[in-house]
Amino acid sequence: MTTLVTDAVSALSADQQILLPDFASCLSVKALLHMNDLHYQVELRVNAESMSPTGKVPFLKVNSFLVSEFDPTVAFIRAKGHSLSDHLNKLEQAEMRAYMALVDSVLINAELYFTWYDKVIWKEVTKPRHGALYSWPLNILLPLKKQFEVNRMLSSIGWTRKTFPEVCEDVKTCCQALSETLGDHLYFFGDRPTELDALVFGHLYSLLTISLPVSRVAETVEQFSNLLNFCRRIDDTYFKDKQRKWDN
Amino acid sequence: MADGDNANMQLRIWDGDWGIPSVDHKCLSVMAYCRFSTVPIKFVKTNNPWRSPSGELPVLDSDGKTVTGVSHIFSCLRKQRWGTDYSLTGRQSADILAFAALIEDKLMPALDYMWWVETKTYVDLTRPWYVKALPFLLKLYLPSARQRATENRARFCKGHELMSDTDLENKLYKEAKECMNLLSIKLGENNYFFGSTPSSLDALVFGALAPLLKVPFPVTILRNHLKGCTNLWNHCQRILDNYFPLSPEEADTLRKKNDERSKQTEVLTEFPHKKRNMFIAGVIAVAAMISYALLSGLIEIEVLTDDGDEDGDSSVNESTTRPPDFNQFDGLFENEDDAEQEEGDEQYDRED
Repeated sequence: MTTLVTDAVSALSADQQILLPDFASCLSVKALLHMNDLHYQVELRVNAESMSPTGKVPFLKVNSFLVSEFDPTVAFIRAKGHSLSDHLNKLEQAEMRAYMALVDSVLINAELYFTWYDKVIWKEVTKPRHGALYSWPLNILLPLKKQFEVNRMLSSIGWTRKTFPEVCEDVKTCCQALSETLGDHLYFFGDRPTELDALVFGHLYSLLTISLPVSRVAETVEQFSNLLNFCRRIDDTYFKDKQRKWDN
Repeated sequence: MADGDNANMQLRIWDGDWGIPSVDHKCLSVMAYCRFSTVPIKFVKTNNPWRSPSGELPVLDSDGKTVTGVSHIFSCLRKQRWGTDYSLTGRQSADILAFAALIEDKLMPALDYMWWVETKTYVDLTRPWYVKALPFLLKLYLPSARQRATENRARFCKGHELMSDTDLENKLYKEAKECMNLLSIKLGENNYFFGSTPSSLDALVFGALAPLLKVPFPVTILRNHLKGCTNLWNHCQRILDNYFPLSPEEADTLRKKNDERSKQTEVLTEFPHKKRNMFIAGVIAVAAMISYALLSGLIEIEVLTDDGDEDGDSSVNESTTRPPDFNQFDGLFENEDDAEQEEGDEQYDRED
């Protein structure tokens, strides 16, 4: 199995509809596929969220299988005989899973918080973008519906009680831990990439590059120079080079 | 050990039971952390989250400040130089953060689900305990509110619209088991996660898993899995033995409580007075049937009294001894003229 067809990404045009959390998840999955040397096609759909089996993007379509979200994708690819972490010992694998949980519980929730709960970003970015491809009244109703769902989720884990600076502080603590673990290495566990690298790259790269009316988010991540280099390196190795190779 | 020296610091907590110092995992974690760092602090078993600023326990009162939330309490204690993690390297501190996130993300939802949403546990164990412990008005509100909050958390974070309850439950338990395996690998052969002295990660793991050791949950899936991870089980037992030794009185009351509970369960399973209850039920049923038959007139009992008979000797005639007399059923269908009809019947009887 060397080719994969990916029904990834949630938009007709990535510039119009896709939002920070979805963009980050898509990038993580893309990085994972690149690192496994799997070829895929990206298909952009307005209703990708409704097509996905769990309501989340991106999702992967391989023949008759539909797989969505990062962890199930990792499990699926592993079942097909592609794994990035087989060379690690048990302890390292356990640590890798722990750091993946850290990224899941801090960075992903922070992205959701910024996108859907922060009033400025919601008004200036999220609301117009999420409804961009629908006509009135759907372009007002659908963003509100989604906002209600995301805020319900955030409040169930107590994130709506946090203030914006507190969330930035959480992101900073998470980055600090990641930076400490990365150290001077090329990747988190030695000189070969693992699933953790794909996940971290997707989220940090998105936080760094996305343009938001609030610049504080990117500044938080930029304090860690080794994480910056790490993102740049993966971007060069797995995205720019690969793209060139595919284009040829 | 550390109780009572310093009146400036106190920790408000949920009470303990079943041999663990508190029934709440957050309280357990903070208590373990306090014991590890030997901070002079007083544990106050208030069982009342009403006055807590975030509406939950534990609450740390320290020099006029009030702090809630496990990580906030840890950092507050650390600022006052009461900590356990000073000797750790940067990498180890990062590991603690990562594994804490793992516990919070994978293990706690399943454990909370087991305490609060699993119907049998909630009805038999959780709700009775909290209703007994809580003050009057809160006991009417808090258990169901916490149940709802836990269920929402599980559903919104782990599930999606199309997921059934069973699928959700399976997913939660599967993740929790995986998390235990990972923790077990991380612990390895060590006494504590980072060598021979306990750290804040040990406190968190202890808080999460200690209830599984002691509380008699009706759902045993996680408990059995923890038993399989021998080193984790021993780890929790070690902290319980070393840092929360029971005083003789406490051990005594615990034993009494356990005896009482086992008696109660015996009583509940045996159904006492079973025969008596069956007999009473039978009597009531028969009585009801007979009175129905009498009232609706299917059976008629007549008291024949002779006016001249002074002895009061009354003879009872059962109408069933005679061939069926359909006239007497008319009373069922005709409400008017009842009196006349009956009189006529009586006369007929006498003539007979």
